[in-house]
Amino acid sequence: MTRILVPLAILEGESVSAGLVDLLEPMDVTVLGYHVLPEQTPPDQARLQYEERATDALEDLAAEFGAEAGTADYRLVFTHDRKQTVDRVADVTDAGVYAIPGATGPVERLLVALTGDVAVDRIVSFVGELVGDRDIAVTLFLATDDASGGRELLETATTPLVDQAIDVRTELAVDEPPLEALVDAAVDHDAIVMGERAPSLRTLVFGEEAERVAAESVGPVLVVRRGEDDETTAAEEPTSLEES
Amino acid sequence: MGETSSPPEGANIEGESPQIEPTIETDEATITDDSELERTLGLTGGLAIGIGTMIGAGIFVFPGLAADQAGPAASASFAIGAVVALLVALPASELATAMPKSGGGYYFISRGLGTLAGAVVGLSLWFGLVFATAFYLVGFGYYAVDTLAELGIAVGEGLVIPIALLFGAGFTVLNVTGTENAAKLQNGIVALLLSILVVFLTYGGLDAAGIVGESSTPEQFAPDGVFPIFTTAALVFTSYLGFAQVATVAGEMKDPGRNLPLSMVGSVLVVGVLYVLTIFVATSGLGSDTLGDLGETAMVEVGRHYLGPVGAVAIVFGGLLATMSSANASVLSTSRSIYAVSRDALLPQRASRINLRYGTPHVALGMAGGPILVLTATGRVELLAEVASFLHLVMYGLICVALIALRRDEPEWYDPDFRVPGYPIVPALGAICSFALIAFMQPASRYVGAGIMLLTVVWYVYYARDIELKGAL
Repeated sequence: MTRILVPLAILEGESVSAGLVDLLEPMDVTVLGYHVLPEQTPPDQARLQYEERATDALEDLAAEFGAEAGTADYRLVFTHDRKQTVDRVADVTDAGVYAIPGATGPVERLLVALTGDVAVDRIVSFVGELVGDRDIAVTLFLATDDASGGRELLETATTPLVDQAIDVRTELAVDEPPLEALVDAAVDHDAIVMGERAPSLRTLVFGEEAERVAAESVGPVLVVRRGEDDETTAAEEPTSLEES
Repeated sequence: MGETSSPPEGANIEGESPQIEPTIETDEATITDDSELERTLGLTGGLAIGIGTMIGAGIFVFPGLAADQAGPAASASFAIGAVVALLVALPASELATAMPKSGGGYYFISRGLGTLAGAVVGLSLWFGLVFATAFYLVGFGYYAVDTLAELGIAVGEGLVIPIALLFGAGFTVLNVTGTENAAKLQNGIVALLLSILVVFLTYGGLDAAGIVGESSTPEQFAPDGVFPIFTTAALVFTSYLGFAQVATVAGEMKDPGRNLPLSMVGSVLVVGVLYVLTIFVATSGLGSDTLGDLGETAMVEVGRHYLGPVGAVAIVFGGLLATMSSANASVLSTSRSIYAVSRDALLPQRASRINLRYGTPHVALGMAGGPILVLTATGRVELLAEVASFLHLVMYGLICVALIALRRDEPEWYDPDFRVPGYPIVPALGAICSFALIAFMQPASRYVGAGIMLLTVVWYVYYARDIELKGAL
């Protein structure tokens, strides 16, 4: 079972919508309550003051995700750097997916973005696992310059989902700006699944693609993390960028 | 023969007890029962704190004052300071890797030597940092006035203190209300300063060695004999206080076993070399008498001597940035050291409250900023510097003593990743040198320093004598 990490700025009152709770109900969930501190404040100092309050809130949230059935737990982290914390906890808990909680009602249709250099197989198998035998329809979306190659990719990705009796549609955007096309396609969908891209100059300047999609589309975004096999490309990145 | 770590005992006069929970330390986070504390500072961040705190004073404020006292031998004074700092940085690194917690020197001493020594050091460190910050701010004031002068607005030295006060209050308010990540800015400032200095030293060094520019007659190395070299070393030791500030953020440092020793020892080595070279270049360029007459901002004229108006502007700009980054880094360290002491109930625990609106420790920042402004108003550069050094040197000496005490009978919990080379000679020398340097200070500085320590003892006896911290991790 894939574990999903749900990071929440717990002390700023960030919470999850009922729609997301229902969507993630069959999965293993770790709620990551984090609190980002300015550098003037040692994390330990904030812990003394806020730990109890944050733990209370997290216990309730984890219960919503099914803590009693043993499929959900929570962690509380005080940090100066949100991204570093999400990455570390995802590694430690072996979570393959993290969620950007947005606002949504019951999820009836999922948009699955396969654009770019992402692990299509893992995204598709995660979607299969997530939807299961529930009545949730799926749209596979791809933005590319290569129309015939794109159609082929979408077809291959459709097969395992159709085999699982899921209602699948495809949408191909040729020669359009990928991000805008994705946000346009998201309009009649309740949540988005996408893959994590290798860090690049673009993400450094504009921020993570998933964060921008989440901001534009309002609804929740589930991000399938890059696995061990994909790390080879990341190893070439200078590590100094990660130090703050 | 080891003892396990014991829970802290006792309560202060208000009935508060030390707030300590068992923790597990990993390279990436500190894990307590209910939560995790992320370690977010890398080696670059650690070096930037160390170098950024130190470089302001040694390069931009002291050359004139030091050359006035010791002549060209002021280089030797800075070298002595570097050796003493290194002798302390090594033991401090060992203790920091054994106890990677915020609080730095105070934490090591209270756990290694007990509550009385801990309280004296912890509270003295608060005041030591306050004196140091006031000193940086006055230095900043001199550079601000010089900047105006370079821009053609002559305001005279009467504005030094008002400007220093204004910016001191500004830093305090910014630290309470500002939530932007200034750490990246600090890294940039340090990188910029180092580049300015390397260009300046390369050119000045070549000139001084007679390879480019006109030749100058060398003056006598130590015109007033050997004694002033040591008194000057005691004065300029303020330029080496920053490495212990790295230990105050030990709890937030990634891979502390590697990064703490590297940033402490590394920053002392970097600034030590830069100081010695700068003084050499400065005294070769203008002569120590001229430097002495120019006082706090003598380096501006040195820049002008070697590189013309561009050099003067570069040094004025560098001086502004450097004294500002020193002052700001020290305000932050002060608030962290107040937190460390109040967590252990040696000060009222409300001192470490965090402000709900900004998430910043406003009480501790206020307890730093208030006294800083009072001391800045005195404007006594040399006294401020020496008292700061006095209070830090006492802590440094005791850090070495604490290391020896812990090593002689190693408790079970004591497991440092880095062990000091040359034990017991290095820590013993570190302790002796730290205390010896105090003997070379002006009497006034020693009286003020000793008076503050006496007050901290009185406070301990009145407020917190029932608290037991030795070995309480």
